[in-house]
Amino acid sequence: MIYHLKTINSSQEGYEHLAELAKATNKLRADRLELDFSRVAFFQANMAAPLGVVLARVADRFNAIEIVNVSGPIESVLRKNGFLTQYRFPPLEDANSTTIPFRRIRPTEEGLFSDYLQRHLKGKGIPQMSEGLGKLFKQKIFEIFQNAVTHSGSEFGIFVCGQFFPQKQRLDLTIADAGVGIRENVRRYFNDPKIPSVPAIRWALKEGNTTKTEKQPGGLGLKLLHDFARLNKGRIHIVSRFGFYEFYGQESFCKMAGDFPGTAVTFEVNTADTSAYRLASETSGENIF
Amino acid sequence: MNKPINVRVFDIVGGALCVSAEDGQRVHDKIAALLREQQKVVLSFEQVETLISAFLNAAVGQLYGEFSEKSIRELLSVRDMNPDDEDVLKRVVENAKRYFADRPAADKAWKEEIGDEEE
Repeated sequence: MIYHLKTINSSQEGYEHLAELAKATNKLRADRLELDFSRVAFFQANMAAPLGVVLARVADRFNAIEIVNVSGPIESVLRKNGFLTQYRFPPLEDANSTTIPFRRIRPTEEGLFSDYLQRHLKGKGIPQMSEGLGKLFKQKIFEIFQNAVTHSGSEFGIFVCGQFFPQKQRLDLTIADAGVGIRENVRRYFNDPKIPSVPAIRWALKEGNTTKTEKQPGGLGLKLLHDFARLNKGRIHIVSRFGFYEFYGQESFCKMAGDFPGTAVTFEVNTADTSAYRLASETSGENIF
Repeated sequence: MNKPINVRVFDIVGGALCVSAEDGQRVHDKIAALLREQQKVVLSFEQVETLISAFLNAAVGQLYGEFSEKSIRELLSVRDMNPDDEDVLKRVVENAKRYFADRPAADKAWKEEIGDEEE
């Protein structure tokens, strides 16, 4: 089949367009998908991660995928970050060092993810963050990655991709998985097959809530990410199945028209942030327990 | 009471990154075995560069499911932790205490709030 992809911004609309692609290709088996980019006016680089999720599911049903008619600037970005090289495009050097490459990491290869962050967040001018901010940013990224490892239940692996925007002083990183989604985990936890995506995301964001059942507390990773984004004036998107969540100064939840087949978390860090801050009240080793 | 045993997280994990629940579990198993013997433990984070809540939930948080607050306070202490990481540990500890105290009640309250279904 030939499918004309639409513009993919890092926004609810972008995820709706990916959900449409997922739905259109849902029945395709042992066939061929020609993904035509001629109607894509813009493709935000970090969105290669959730596109990777959708295409991994298509490929898993024994379909061959070909990407065609990619306009010059989009081709350039998606070759620099390595996304298009999976589809037989030649690699392109990232002379300005603004890409954080597309990678598909198996949950059992967590070590690769730390190497990836070490390599692509450090130096090369990205990001221009203070050492303290860089450390906190990295910590939050590991929290998101660990969430995906723990909760996705997916053999497809975890898809990561990012982009640094030097003019805007923002860095976007998306971590996506082709797993069952937050909704499914919350449904299993409550043994209720009707819980919708938005209430499930709302529940998962509440401090202390976790679907882990092995007598281990949890439910802090997303809360810590949220606290950090608030102080840093950053942005968070969480997309899982029909649910879309945004935090940018304030929180909003939306039900999407389509079903994104997995979970994606984007964190946009404000790299111009020079504040030195602590995330919680002062503690001393003495009164922790 | 015997002399406290220094448990070096860096050595158990095998590096400076404490970013997985699996590694946290290994640290937990070491500490829990010592606490069961009423052994004082000093958990040292020397050389640790990055640590996350998921690691600490497994390593320390879940201790509250087996041991009382009182015995943890008496037997366990931490050292060589930078202030940001100490803040995360504090959150993990508070969360663990709540988790083991009244989890079913909180879940039940939420279940009564949710609305319509989707496909």
